[in-house]
Amino acid sequence: MERARTAMSDAVVPLLRVMSEPASAISKAVTNFRELASIREENGRLREENIRLQKWQVVAERLETANRALNELLVLSPEPAISYVTARVVGDTGGAFAQSMLITAGREQGVQKGQAVIAGEGLVGRVSQVGRRSSRVLLISDINSRIPVLVGEVGLRAMLAGDNSNRPRLFYLDTKSIVSPGDSVVTSGAAGAFLPGIPVGQVVRVVENAVQLEPYIARNRITHVRIVDFGLGEILSGLNSK
Amino acid sequence: MQRSVWQWIDIEARKLLPFGLTFIFVLYGVTPNHVPGFAQVTPMYALICIYFWSVYRPDLFGYGSGFFIGVAEDLLTGAPVGSSVLAFLLTQWLIFNQHKFFYAKSFVVIWLVFAVIAAGAILVKWFCVGIVSEFGFARAEDLAGTCLVTITLYPLFSWLLAKVQLTVLTNE
Repeated sequence: MERARTAMSDAVVPLLRVMSEPASAISKAVTNFRELASIREENGRLREENIRLQKWQVVAERLETANRALNELLVLSPEPAISYVTARVVGDTGGAFAQSMLITAGREQGVQKGQAVIAGEGLVGRVSQVGRRSSRVLLISDINSRIPVLVGEVGLRAMLAGDNSNRPRLFYLDTKSIVSPGDSVVTSGAAGAFLPGIPVGQVVRVVENAVQLEPYIARNRITHVRIVDFGLGEILSGLNSK
Repeated sequence: MQRSVWQWIDIEARKLLPFGLTFIFVLYGVTPNHVPGFAQVTPMYALICIYFWSVYRPDLFGYGSGFFIGVAEDLLTGAPVGSSVLAFLLTQWLIFNQHKFFYAKSFVVIWLVFAVIAAGAILVKWFCVGIVSEFGFARAEDLAGTCLVTITLYPLFSWLLAKVQLTVLTNE
């Protein structure tokens, strides 16, 4: 059945590419208009952010030097280099039944099942099917999505589970742990195939049995995504063949 | 009178139009529209088309068409294959069995019946998706958005399809 799905995706992606152009063009025009309207305000905000980021750059460079020196002392083997494949989003299936996206990169571009998919602001989901020139991305909001994450500054371990709504939930949190709205959530990298530290979202609601998350990604604004390849190709292909 | 090859092709192409249009709407349903929040309530465009053609042109849109559109919808949206198929075929079965009811009924009645059938079809699909999912059923209240948008869009799509029927399918 998976072969039928990927064959169908490969067949219709060129059509979807054409059909998605008008909506994409309108979306770009609306975004441009909005940005133009708030250009002065945005400029001020970006200046402030630039000053703040320059300070962080100094800190990051100092830490990187220290990190390199410590790694040399410990004779650590270097981590595999991270590379990205950029693809256009030509399909977005929503509703209460499945939450996924069709993208214009597949096996020929080096995409593999299980790889993390990110957009500018954070994690979008993971690759669930790979065709020749197209792939399906299972979104973090899909009911079948399970992603190990770390919550808050202390890094509490939890599982992020979609429920087909736009606010996925956190499960398997220690009942004694304190989670509050505003806590950031990043991928933990547990289970191997995901890069740790990818921003996922922020906790927005904590009730007795549920911790809800607001993803960083604005789904309606995603036109392109990046598929993260962090050198675990052999492990992933081993997992996929099982 | 003997028909030329071109006439034959023209007539057969017109007969395929309901299926072709419905397939285009299946594709349209998975095209990103970049409207904030709309992805969560994406309507079932195919269901609107299947209802319309099954009521007004059952001769051109039988169970076979419903089956293939259902398979295409499931393959493209990532839903379990068979969930849309069952929802669409049940919709057609109901309409074909009650075809006398639809004769000369006002648009409002047709729309109201669509509202009931759409709600039923969406529930059938939700049940099928939930029963095969490893992680159970999505919350039923999340169906309301999809259901409401599908019902609300029916008049617009019905008007469009009626225009096509009147201009292209009246003298095939």
